[in-house]
Amino acid sequence: MSTTKTISAQLRGVITQKNNGAFTVSTPTGSRNCPLTARLRRESGGELAVGDEVSVDAAGQIDALLPRRNWISRRSAAPMPGAHTHEQLIAANLDQVVPVFAAANPRLAWHLLDRYLVSAESAEIPALVVITKFDLAAGRPEADEIEQVAAEYRALGYPVLLTSTLDGSGLEAFRAALHGKRSLLVGKSGVGKTSLLNALEPGLGLRVQATNAVTGKGRHTTTAATLLPLTAGGAVIDTPGIREFGLWDVDGADLAWFFPEMRPHLDRCRFGLDCRHAEEPGCAVRKAVTDGLISPYRYQSYLKLRYDP
Amino acid sequence: MTTIPFAQRTYSRSKGQQDTFGDFTCLHCGRLVQSHELLSGVRNRNHCPHCLSSRHLDLYAAGDRLAACKGRMQPVALTLKHDGNKYRRNSGELMLVHICDECGKLSINRIAADDDNERILRVFAASQRLDPDTQAALTHAGITPLEAWQKELVQRRLWGGR
Ligand SMILES: Nc1nc2c(ncn2[C@@H]2O[C@H](COP(=O)(O)OP(=O)(O)OP(=O)(O)O)[C@@H](O)[C@H]2O)c(=O)[nH]1
Ligand SMILES: [Mg+2]
Ligand SMILES: [Zn+2]
Ligand SMILES: [Zn+2]
Ligand SMILES: [Zn+2]
Repeated sequence: MSTTKTISAQLRGVITQKNNGAFTVSTPTGSRNCPLTARLRRESGGELAVGDEVSVDAAGQIDALLPRRNWISRRSAAPMPGAHTHEQLIAANLDQVVPVFAAANPRLAWHLLDRYLVSAESAEIPALVVITKFDLAAGRPEADEIEQVAAEYRALGYPVLLTSTLDGSGLEAFRAALHGKRSLLVGKSGVGKTSLLNALEPGLGLRVQATNAVTGKGRHTTTAATLLPLTAGGAVIDTPGIREFGLWDVDGADLAWFFPEMRPHLDRCRFGLDCRHAEEPGCAVRKAVTDGLISPYRYQSYLKLRYDP
Repeated sequence: MTTIPFAQRTYSRSKGQQDTFGDFTCLHCGRLVQSHELLSGVRNRNHCPHCLSSRHLDLYAAGDRLAACKGRMQPVALTLKHDGNKYRRNSGELMLVHICDECGKLSINRIAADDDNERILRVFAASQRLDPDTQAALTHAGITPLEAWQKELVQRRLWGGR
């Protein structure tokens, strides 16, 4: 086999979209739609994701996947209760994960945020939290709650931006936070992920759609994860709204480590590393919660994820 | 007690963490507790009908399950639920007052249909000689424990109608 020779003929690129078994690959000579070689399809099981770096052979087929520096995946939704779940790769080679929540429409669910943050922690990727549609909360009691909870997450080391594409607030900070990085936007349908990108890069003109007037739920407008380069440098991956975000490959015994505020307490439990921080006497994590050092909501998220990852 | 610097969030407990946990074994007396509403007559059973113990699971509101303490809550006294959130003598529903062994949190709970009445009477008897700390905690919380002279009222509430 003349491996060296074929490599020289190869073109390097980044997957920007996945479409029915083939992939859009952005290469120095332009974007093209590439299937996998039969060999790679066999070897990889077709599991390539947006953000993956690949090489394309002379026939225009993806023939190799370059090593990933990191990736985010979730547990696939089980088609029926008890059915098998598998790893669902969302994107690879990221600089930050951006969980997006709306201040309203759809209703803000803080406990889901902790799922995303744990997932980012376990992948060792920094997270940036964005609350959209802040105009809908402004002047209402919800705004105070959001400001306060945002401050709690900032104290944990997660930047939180409060934005509105309607009045433009927070957008400059958002632009600055994305600059020069590759960011993955994740969140429920209708929270305004795509609208944020349109506001940032008016030229994109991506499709957005109003949420259901009664339920506030989104209509699953974005249908494929897509990597979009930013003119100022960096890129954003817009994704379809996710209904459930199950943790994949996060060991229960490691879970507390992915809550940064729990780390300083983990070696002080009476049962040491065997402590599940649930019912055990002498648990330092529980003590830190009752002492007001750890948010009871974050602790409850921990317990919830422990039993229902 | 420590103050909690965290904002109270508008939130609803997610699926899988509902108010009923199904039948369970009491951690304190080891007996089986059946959760069915038909037996208890209450929506959220929050203490064992046999030993009347409960656990410190709630933080801001009944059923929120946000407390990390999880200590044993022992029944220490009886009181009357007057209206809204006032607990005064003479009128109102008979309630059990629990106190947490671990952190001293007080809570006031409805009596279930299948709670052990004799045991409730024993709590009432013991509550006539409360230790000063518990006494002070009750006073501080504005809870008036029922006194010896109200024994007849207690018996009437437990055995004879409402
Ligand atoms: N009031 C208000 N509405 C907004 C804001 N941002 C987005 N919206 C509206 O929210 C709706 C949904 O926005 P999208 O950008 O399509 O949401 P999405 O998260 O991309 O949804 P999916 O593609 O389905 O995952 C649209 O009607 C937007 O106009 C905002 O800041 N304020
Ligand atoms: Mg979208
Ligand atoms: Zn512990
Ligand atoms: Zn019991
Ligand atoms: Zn307690």
